[in-house]
Amino acid sequence: MLFPTIDFAVFFVVVFTGSWILRPHRRAWRWFILAASCVFYGWWDWNFLYLLLASIGINWLFGVVIHRALTPDGERTPLSIWLVRAAVVVNLGILGYFKYFSFFVSAVADRLDSLGISVSAPVLRIVLPVGISFFTFQALSYVIDIGRGHWRRPLPLLDFAVYLSFFAHLVAGPIVRASEFVPQLDHIPDPRYVRASEAFMLIFRGMFKKVVISSFLATQIVDPVFRLPGAYDRWEVLWAIYAYAIQIYADFSGYTDIAIGVALLLGIRFPLNFDAPYTATSLQDFWRRWHMTLSRWLRDYLYIPLGGNRGSKLFTYRNLFLVMLLGGLWHGANWTFVIWGSIHGGYLIGERVVKERWVGHERGVPPRVVKVLQWFLTFNVVCLAWVFFRAPSVSDAFAVLWRLVVGTGSDANVTLLLILVVLASLASQFVPERFPKRAERWFGGLAPILQIAALALGLVMIDALGPEGVAPFIYFQF
Amino acid sequence: MSAGMILIVMVAGLLLAMTLNADATLRKSNAKGDGWRNGVASVIATVSDTFQFTFLRTRVDAALGKNQGSRIDAAELVRRQQEAQAAQDAYAASRPPTIAAPTSSAPLHLWVGGDSITQTLGASLQRVLATTGVFTSTLDYHVSTGLARPDYFNWPEHLVRDVLPKDQPSVLVMMFGANDGQNMTDRQGRGLTRGSPEWLAEYRRRVAATMDLLKSPTDDRLTIWCGPPPMGPGTKVRGMDEIAHIVWSEAQTRPWIQYFDTWPFLSDDELRYVLEAPSADGQRRVLRQADDVHMSVAGADRVAWAILARIGTLIDLSSGRIAPPPGETAPASVAERREVPESMPGSE
Repeated sequence: MLFPTIDFAVFFVVVFTGSWILRPHRRAWRWFILAASCVFYGWWDWNFLYLLLASIGINWLFGVVIHRALTPDGERTPLSIWLVRAAVVVNLGILGYFKYFSFFVSAVADRLDSLGISVSAPVLRIVLPVGISFFTFQALSYVIDIGRGHWRRPLPLLDFAVYLSFFAHLVAGPIVRASEFVPQLDHIPDPRYVRASEAFMLIFRGMFKKVVISSFLATQIVDPVFRLPGAYDRWEVLWAIYAYAIQIYADFSGYTDIAIGVALLLGIRFPLNFDAPYTATSLQDFWRRWHMTLSRWLRDYLYIPLGGNRGSKLFTYRNLFLVMLLGGLWHGANWTFVIWGSIHGGYLIGERVVKERWVGHERGVPPRVVKVLQWFLTFNVVCLAWVFFRAPSVSDAFAVLWRLVVGTGSDANVTLLLILVVLASLASQFVPERFPKRAERWFGGLAPILQIAALALGLVMIDALGPEGVAPFIYFQF
Repeated sequence: MSAGMILIVMVAGLLLAMTLNADATLRKSNAKGDGWRNGVASVIATVSDTFQFTFLRTRVDAALGKNQGSRIDAAELVRRQQEAQAAQDAYAASRPPTIAAPTSSAPLHLWVGGDSITQTLGASLQRVLATTGVFTSTLDYHVSTGLARPDYFNWPEHLVRDVLPKDQPSVLVMMFGANDGQNMTDRQGRGLTRGSPEWLAEYRRRVAATMDLLKSPTDDRLTIWCGPPPMGPGTKVRGMDEIAHIVWSEAQTRPWIQYFDTWPFLSDDELRYVLEAPSADGQRRVLRQADDVHMSVAGADRVAWAILARIGTLIDLSSGRIAPPPGETAPASVAERREVPESMPGSE
C-alpha cells in the first residue's frame, strides 16, 4: 500500500481509530497493530507475508537461544557468538538470495564466457519482496544486540512481531532499533495530547516532496536524460544530475517524513532519518545527515566490529572503505552501487588525509570561504556519485558523464521552472528549524474547522500539482 | 490535540478533500476500469458537481494546463481536420507515404508514444535509434491511458493538438490496448460491455478515426502502430488479441499506417505468452516484468530492433549504422504474422 493514496487514507483512519480505542488493552492493541501491518504489507502481494512472518519467527527464535547461551551476567560465550554468526548468515542468506542471486549467477556466467567457457546461465526471475532490506537489518540489530548482552531478556514473540512488522517503518524505514521501539509499546500515551500539528506538518511536507517535487523532476528532466543522455546538451545533463540529487532526497525523505508523522499520530516516535543533508560541508557530515538510521546501523554493526578506528590510519581507511562499499551493495546487486559506495569510501578517506594535512596550513583563507568551498565540493561529489546510483549500468553512467563534457545542442529542457524548483529545494535545506516549528504552531493554533479546511485544501493542491498516478518510492526497490 | 479531535479533523478533512477533488478522483478511477471504487467515485462526483464543489480544482487544473481528457470524439477531430485540409486543397489521395532517406546531418524525427508499456519499449527504441545516428526521437507515454477513456486522456486530441504540430515527427510509433479492456460509453452515452459486438465496433471506430487523424496531407508521415502483446495468464488484462486484430485490419486499408505485430516476439512457438525466450545468440532472456504485462528491458530491446528493421523496409536507412547485437534481437525464426486472427488461444 502506498502512503499517498486513497486506499492508505481509508486504512489509516480505521487503524487510527482502532489503535486509540485498544491502546489501554496492551495485548489486544498489539494483535490489532500486527494484523493492520500484515494487511498493509500484504496489499502488495500476500505471498510476501510468508517471508515477513518467517523472518519474525526465525529471528525471535535466534533471540531466545542466543540469550540462553549467554552467561547469567549477560556475557558472551563461544556458543552465543556462533549463534549470532549463524543468525547473521541466515538473514544475509535470505537477503542475498532475493537481492543478489541473479546478479551472482550472471556475473559468473559472464566471467566464464570471457574465459572461453560458454555456459547458459539459468534464467531467474526472483521477485524482490518490498522492504526486505529494511526489516532484515532491523532483525539483525535485534539479534546482535541480544548477543552483546544489551537485553536482559528476549522480547515476547508478539512484541517482536509488532516491532519488525510495524507498517509505518516496514517498507522503507527509518531503520528503528528494538531498544527505541519496544519501550514505547509498554508506555501508553495520553490520548488527550497527541502531537497532531507536528505529525500533520510532517505528512504534508512528505507528500509534497514525493508527489510534487520528486515526480516533477523525474518526468521533466531526470528520466529522459538518464534514458538517452546522447540526445541532450551538457547543460541539460548537468541540471538533470542536480535534479536527481533533489529528486532522490525528496522521494526518500518524503517517505520518511510521512512514516514518522503517521507513527506520531499513533503515539509512537521514530528517530530522525534526514537532517538537511545537502548543507553538509564534508562527506562525513553528509553521512551524519543522510539516511541517518542506516549510517548508524553501519557504524554500530559493521564499522565498529571491523575494528573502527582502533588501529593504524590504514586500518581505519580500510574499514571506512569497506563500510561504504557494503553500504553501496546493500542498495542492490549492480556494479553501479559498488562504484557509488567506492566514491563515497574513497572520498571519505581523501577527506581525512587532506584535513590532517590542512591543519596549520590555512594561511589566512577566511573560514567562511573555506566553508563555502567545502560545501560546494561535497555537494558536487555527492551528485557525481548519484550518477552511478541512478544509471541502470556503469556504461550508462559514463555515457551521462561523457555527455557532460561533449554534449552540444539546445538546452530547451532547462526551463526557468526547473531551475527554480532545484534551487528552491536546495535552499530549503538551509532554512532554520524554527520556521517549520512556527508553521506547526500556527496550524496547532487554528480552530478545528480551519484545520479541516487547511487539510482538505492541502490535499487538493498536492494532487493538482502532482502527476496522474503515484510512482512507487525509489527506496521501495531496496 | 486529543485523538478524538484528530479523528474528526482527519475524517472531515478527507471527506472535504474528496468532495473538492471529486472530478479528478473519478477520472483516475475511470481509467482503472469498473469496480466498487469507480461506483463510489461516481456518486461523490455527481453530488459534488451538482453543488459545484469542484470549481476550485477545475480552475487550478486550467491554470496549470493539466488533465487533457475531454469528450471530443476522434471522428469529430477527423471531420474538422479534413475540412481544414480541403479548404487548403491539401487532402491528397491515399497512397503510401514518401519519406526521404535520413542522414546524420538530416536525421528523421521519430515520436514514440502510448500507455505505460511504451515506457520501456520507447526507452529501448530511443536507444536503438540513437545507435543508427540518423534519428532523433521523443518518448511520450501516459500511464493508464488508451482509446477507451478519452475523458481521462484523449489521445486523438493530444495527437492533433500537441504531437503533430509541435513535435512534427516523420515517423510515429504507438501502442495502446493494455488499459482498454474495460467497458466504454459510446457517442450516444450508451454503456458498452467489454468484448460485446457493440464494444468491438466502437473500439474499431475509434481506432479507424485515430488512424485517419494521422494521415499527412502531403503524405510524408509514416505511423507504425504496434499491436499489443499477449499478457500473462495471471493478469487481469484480457482481449489483447481482439484489439490486435482490430488495429491490424484497420491498418490494411490505410497506406500511411503500418501494423507492427509484437505478438510473435513475446510469445512461444505456439504464439502463447512466455516469460522468457531465447535470443539470437541462443541465451534465454526474461522478456517481461514481474507483473507479466510490461516488457523487461530485454523484451523491449527485442521488439525495438524488430521495429527498426521494419522501418528499414519502408525508409532507406542505408546511411545509418544498423548492427543489432544478437543478444538483443529475436532469432531469425521469429517473424510477424501475415494475418492477425480475431482470437488467440489463451487470450480470452
